[in-house]
Amino acid sequence: MRQDRIGLLFLTPALIAVVVFYLLPVVMTAVFAFTNMSTATGIRGGDWMLTEDGLRDLREAGLPEETLTMLEGAGYAVDAAGLAALEAEFGASLAERVRGALEGESFASRRDMERALRDLRAPELRVTRDRKRAAELFLRSTLNTRHATPESLRADLSAAGIPEADHDLIVEEAYTGWSWTTRNFELLVSLPSTARYAVNTLMYVALTLVIFNVGLGLFLAVSTFYLPERTSATFRAIWFMPRILPPVLYVLMWKWLMWDTGFIASVLAPFGVDRINWMMHSEVHAWVAVILINGVVGASFGMIIFASAIKAIPQTMLMASEVDGASRWQQVRFIILPQMRWPILFVTAYQTLSLLASFEYILLSTGGGPGSATEVWAMAAFRTALNNYGGNLQYGLGATFALVLVIIGTALSLLYLRFFNFQALLSKPRIER
Amino acid sequence: MKTRLLAATALCGALAGAAAAQDYEITVWSGGSGEADSYRWEAVEMAADILEREAAIRGEELNITVDYMWDFGGWAEFKQAVTLAAEAGEAPEIVVTSHLDIAPWSQAGYVVPVEDYLDLDAWPLSDVYPNLMQIASFNGVQWGIPQDSESRPFFFWREHMRALGYTDAEIDALPEAVENGEYTLQNVLEDATRAVEMGLVEEGKGFSPRVSNGPDYAQFYQSFGGELYDEDTGKLVLDRVAMTEFYQFFVDAVEAGITSRTHIGMDWNDWYAEVANGGALMWHGGTWHYGRYLREGNEDFFGTIAFSLIPAGDADVGRANTITHPLVYLITDQGDDDVQNIAAQLVEIATEPRINTLHAIKSAHLAVAESQSDVPLYAQDPWADAATSVLLPFANSQPNHPDYGVYSEAMWSGLESAWTGIQTPEQAVAELEAELTSVLGDELIVR
Repeated sequence: MRQDRIGLLFLTPALIAVVVFYLLPVVMTAVFAFTNMSTATGIRGGDWMLTEDGLRDLREAGLPEETLTMLEGAGYAVDAAGLAALEAEFGASLAERVRGALEGESFASRRDMERALRDLRAPELRVTRDRKRAAELFLRSTLNTRHATPESLRADLSAAGIPEADHDLIVEEAYTGWSWTTRNFELLVSLPSTARYAVNTLMYVALTLVIFNVGLGLFLAVSTFYLPERTSATFRAIWFMPRILPPVLYVLMWKWLMWDTGFIASVLAPFGVDRINWMMHSEVHAWVAVILINGVVGASFGMIIFASAIKAIPQTMLMASEVDGASRWQQVRFIILPQMRWPILFVTAYQTLSLLASFEYILLSTGGGPGSATEVWAMAAFRTALNNYGGNLQYGLGATFALVLVIIGTALSLLYLRFFNFQALLSKPRIER
Repeated sequence: MKTRLLAATALCGALAGAAAAQDYEITVWSGGSGEADSYRWEAVEMAADILEREAAIRGEELNITVDYMWDFGGWAEFKQAVTLAAEAGEAPEIVVTSHLDIAPWSQAGYVVPVEDYLDLDAWPLSDVYPNLMQIASFNGVQWGIPQDSESRPFFFWREHMRALGYTDAEIDALPEAVENGEYTLQNVLEDATRAVEMGLVEEGKGFSPRVSNGPDYAQFYQSFGGELYDEDTGKLVLDRVAMTEFYQFFVDAVEAGITSRTHIGMDWNDWYAEVANGGALMWHGGTWHYGRYLREGNEDFFGTIAFSLIPAGDADVGRANTITHPLVYLITDQGDDDVQNIAAQLVEIATEPRINTLHAIKSAHLAVAESQSDVPLYAQDPWADAATSVLLPFANSQPNHPDYGVYSEAMWSGLESAWTGIQTPEQAVAELEAELTSVLGDELIVR
C-alpha cells in the first residue's frame, strides 16, 4: 500500500506534465474546433453591437423594411427627454439655449449633432469631451453602441420603438462573439485545398520516414557497427550535426546549396546546365528538397537508437554465427534485424508523430511552394490559425485542422502498437514464465 | 503638537498634490516598423511633451510616460502579440498597425473609436485627406487616425528603356501614358521580352515583381478591371475574368522568360540591391523604396529610375491604379475612459503637420494631411513632392472587411500555383472560387 503511494508520488510530475502539456491542449483544440472563433470574434466571448454591416445582413435576412428604416434613421434627436437629461447634467442655462436653437431637430450622424452643438459656442461645451457627452444625451440610434448583455440591447431597441417581434433577429445579428458550429468540419471535407494538404502530408511523412528516418537510420547503424569504434563514433557524430544546428541556419545552408545562385547551380553552370533554383524549380524539385532536408535531420535519430540497440545484442551470438560461417549479410538478416523490432517500432511511431506535426523545415525552405505543392496539414493549421497578412486569424478552422492531426496521430500509434505486437514485446521472457 | 500640525499639513499637501497630479503611462506598439519609422512612437513622445506643457499652462499637473515597442519580428508576430495582449487585458494604449486590422479588432472590442474622444471637424484632423480618414473608418465609425500614407508605384530603369529606343521625353511621359491607359501591361511584356533578348538584363529580370505576398498584387487584379469590394452591399468581390487575366499575365511573363518561375521567396535584400542598381528593366514596389534605394547605393534616383501607376491590363481593359496601405493609430479599450482620452489626445497631436512630416520624410512615406505640403521639410523633399502628386490622387485601398485577410491569402495562393506552373490560371481561379465561396459564403459576390 505504502509502496503504491510512493509509486504514485513518483509518477505525479509526469502525470501533471501529461495533463498540462498534452491533455489540456488537446481538449482546448477540440473545443476550439467546434467554434467559429477568429480574431474578429475574440476568444473570451462577445458583446452585442449593431453595425451598418449588420443592418445589410438583416435586410437580407428579411427584417421588415419599416424596422430597418427606424434603425437606420434614428440618429440624434433633440427632444424633451434629451433636453431634460442635458439640464440635469449641464444646468438649466445650457438646456435653455439648446432648446431655443435646436429643439425638434434631428441629426443623421454624430458628427452633425456635434457640429450643431459646437456652433452654439456655449461656454459649457467648449471642451470636446463635454460636447461629446452632451451629444450623447440626444443619441436615439442603437447603432454602434456596445452592449455587454443582450438584455441591454433589447432595452435599447424597446426604447427606440422597435417591434418586439424583431428583437430576436436583431440580437442574433448584433452578437460579436463566437458561436458553436460544425461548419469547420464540413469545410475540411469540401475544400479542394484540404485534399491536397492530406495527400502532401501522406507523401511527406511516408517518404521521409521510410527512406530516411528508418531506412537510412538503420543502414547507418548497421554499417557503422562493423567499423572500428573510433571511426564509427566520428561518422555518427558527423551525421548528428544537422540535428544540433538551429533549423534556420540548417535550411539556409540548403538554400546556399540549391538556389539559382547557389553551389549546385554554380558547379553545373560551366557544363552548360541552366542555372535553376534546384529547390523550387518544379514540384518534383521541391519534394526532393523537402524530403532530403527533413530526412538528413531525421536519420540521425534512428541511427543513434538503432546503433545502441545493436550494441545490446550479445556478442556471443555474433561470434557463434561466425563460427558457423555466416556472412555479414546473414548476420544482419538473421541476428540483427530480428532483434530490432522494438527500436524500429519506437522510431517509426515516434517519428510519424513528430513528422505529422512538424513543418518548420518546410516553412523555412520551400514555404509550402511552389504553389501549395509542398504545403502539409500542420502548416495549413499554422497558417490558418496564426498567420494572416490581412489580420483576421481563424482560430476555429485552424484548431479543426490540428484536431484532425491529433486524431490521426492517436489512431496511428494504436495501429503501430498492434502491428508490431506490442503485447508480445512486453511479455515476460519465456524462461521466467 | 506643533510637529503633529506640521505632519498633518504635509499630509494634506501631499494628498492635494496627488489629487492634482495626473499620471499616465502610455505604451505604443508599432507593427511593421524599422529604425527609419521611429517617429511612429517618437511623435507620441513629442505629443506627450506638448500635452504636459498645455496642462501646465492651465495650472494642472499632467505626467505622461511613453513606452514603446517596435521590434516584433514580423507582421504576424505583431498581430498575435496585440490580440493576445488585448485578450489578457494587457494591450498597449496605442497601436500603430495596418488599417486592415480595424474590421476584426473593432468587432472583437479590442479598440475604441477615436471619434469618441476627438473632434473630427477640428484641426488637425479636419486637415487630414478625407480618403485616408475614410480608410481608417469602418461601418461608418471613425476607428483610427491615418499615421502615414504611401502608394505602390511601377518602376522603370531609364538606361535600359533608352537602350530599347525610348527617348528621354518618352520616358518622362510614361507616367502620363500609363495613366491614360496607353502604356499597358501588354507593353510591359513586349518591352521586357525585348530587353531580355537584347541582353540588357538577365533572363527572368525583365520584370521583377515583389518577392512575397502583399497588397501589391491586388493592384494587378485591379489592372484587369477587378474590384475587391462592393460598396453597396459591403461584400467582397471575386471577378473571375479579371482574376484569370491577372494570373495569366504572370504566367505569360514566366513563359516569355522575363520573370523567373522561382522568383517568389527570393531574398528581399538581394532583390533591393538588384532593382536599385539596374538589375531589372521594370519592377514594382512602394514609395518608401526611395529611401532604400539610396541605401543600396543608388545616389541618383530621378536620373536612373522613372515611376508611374501600375499600368492597366490592356488597352480598354481595367485601369491604371495604385494601392495605398496606410498605417493607422488605434486606441485600445483599456476600460478607463481617462486613459483612452489621453491616448486619443496624443494621437491627435502626433498628426499635426510638422510632427507627421518628420515621419513622412524620415521613412520616405507620404503625407496624411493637405497642409503638410506647406511644411518646408516636406515641400523641399523631391520624392515626397513628386510621389504625392503623381500617385496619391489615384490611390485606393484594400477594403476594411473582416474576411479580407482570407480573401487575400487565397488570391495569393492561387497566383503562386499559376505562376509556378502547378495549375493553369483557369484551374487556379476555379479552385479559388470554390475555396472562397465555401469559406466566405454570403460575404462574397462572384462575378
